[in-house]
Amino acid sequence: MMPDAESIVDADHAAFLQRGVGISVAACDSDKLPTLVRACGCRVSADRRRVTLFVSAAQAAPLLKCIRNNGAIAVVFSEPSTHRTVQLKAGDAVVGGLHDGDLEVIAAYRSAFARELGSLGYDEALIRALFAYPSADIVSLGFTPSEAFSQTPGPKAGEPLQRNG
Amino acid sequence: MAKLSAIRECFEGAIPATMATASDAGVPNIAYLSHVQFVDGDHVALSYQFFNKTRQNLMANPRATLMLTHPVTMTQYRLSLQYLHTETAGPLFESMKAKLAGIASHTGMSGVFRLLGSDVCKVLQIQQVPGESLIAPPPERNLLAALRIASERIAACCDLERLLSETLSCLDQQFGIHHAMVLMADQPGARLYTVASLGYEKSGVGSEIPFGHGVIGVAARERTPIRIGHMNAEYSYSRAARESAEHSDWASALELEIPLPGLCKPRSQLAVPILAAQSLLGVLYVESPQDLRFSYDDEDALVSLTAQIGMAIYILQGVADTGEEAQAGASDPSLPDGAPLEIRHFPENDSVFLGDDYLIKGVAGSIFWTLLRDYADKKRTEFTNRELRLDSRICLPDISDNLEARLILLGKRLIERNAPIRIEKTGRGRFGLRVRRPIRLLEE
Repeated sequence: MMPDAESIVDADHAAFLQRGVGISVAACDSDKLPTLVRACGCRVSADRRRVTLFVSAAQAAPLLKCIRNNGAIAVVFSEPSTHRTVQLKAGDAVVGGLHDGDLEVIAAYRSAFARELGSLGYDEALIRALFAYPSADIVSLGFTPSEAFSQTPGPKAGEPLQRNG
Repeated sequence: MAKLSAIRECFEGAIPATMATASDAGVPNIAYLSHVQFVDGDHVALSYQFFNKTRQNLMANPRATLMLTHPVTMTQYRLSLQYLHTETAGPLFESMKAKLAGIASHTGMSGVFRLLGSDVCKVLQIQQVPGESLIAPPPERNLLAALRIASERIAACCDLERLLSETLSCLDQQFGIHHAMVLMADQPGARLYTVASLGYEKSGVGSEIPFGHGVIGVAARERTPIRIGHMNAEYSYSRAARESAEHSDWASALELEIPLPGLCKPRSQLAVPILAAQSLLGVLYVESPQDLRFSYDDEDALVSLTAQIGMAIYILQGVADTGEEAQAGASDPSLPDGAPLEIRHFPENDSVFLGDDYLIKGVAGSIFWTLLRDYADKKRTEFTNRELRLDSRICLPDISDNLEARLILLGKRLIERNAPIRIEKTGRGRFGLRVRRPIRLLEE
């Protein structure tokens, strides 16, 4: 048994997932037809066992259908300035509504991601356009990561994440 | 459904594409792609660099969904893909390999990114993702209008020299491209030689590059346009030139005698093969100090333009070769006074030196030496392209070799070296040798 229950996400990774990194989510239907959507924020529970993502229901419509059908999810988090990339997978994803504090998480994420890309020369207005949908359109995707991989380009891409502390 | 060709700016890489795949057991996977290439209206190609999960899934279950973002409007698109096959050589592969090298160098991934294959996929469906789209500003110029004017000006050219100068001037004035060169192919030598350039301190006329080296050489070898949007050491021609002269004997050292012109750090490069009647005639190369200067549309415009240039070169070559006969009685030059200029010829590579200065080598060197011999032995000054083509002393590498281009090269080198000898065009397929100082020929 690992010290903090079964969480495969250590504190450093948890902080990374909640920074201004690009987040994209994939799922697939019963015919193994995959689909994907961009997420607008991430919240990791205090015990780091549960990860919640936020997506536009209108944009994610095909994905939500898949998740409701089979719960399988894959998420990639990538930091443009460092190329540091992490993929999480789970089989228990559920679609839900927003809770108190979620809109603040989403607002902070939008600003952090725009700042991250702004530092690379992208116009912040362009980045904000990616997330220009009403709050009422946003739903949550909650899951317990069962696998975590590094996907940073290079020889170690695809290896399971090394857990520190 | 949006046409793939209408959203191909999404493939320029300003905002990376992501792709979802699924394993045979139905486990989804998602990954960033380094590069997706627009192939045609129904196909894209994915860069295969590592045997990762995406690749494994694609081989087991050939369905994937690609997410693209338009770099200007920020509109997102989901493309349903069906994997078809992988190419590991040829034009598509080489074009992607060059582009990937540019991306790698731009993102600090040189040495990490290496293209193993181009995974060709059919695009089954394009879905615009609901969301806000920004309004794209009007383009800086209308490329079709530029192409029309350039086409008209090229169609009006009656000889190769004019065609080359009109081409460069159209690039400058109509396309806003200020650094360019035209290289002609020497097929048996498997190399290209520069005949005209725009926007460089030194013209570089006469400089050479082997097929397969750098952006220009790869475009020639594969007969496909190569376009790179970021600075890229791997495909720089200065490096290509250095490598070609690596096994440096005296003969290959001469290749560096005339450096290739070019920006020392081009950030965008586009090399387009000049083709006609299924032959490679040369390469048009343009570059810019700006990142992502050349778009798919620029590439299309220049491919269309070079198609016309190729046809024009092909026709004008025939015209020059069947030009009028030289007038036999016209050769009676008044001999110049002064100290003679020693001109040396080295038959092993047909290099010619004026005094101690290297002038030219190869076919153009052989032509020059033959003209000088006729001038010295027979006092001849008037010549035709046709007789040169038939002259056994000149080993033209190929029946289709562009003699006119060799003469332009020779003429420009004489002017650039400020030589007391000039080539003067005297009519269609005719020219004269103008010698303003006594010469002494030394065969080494």
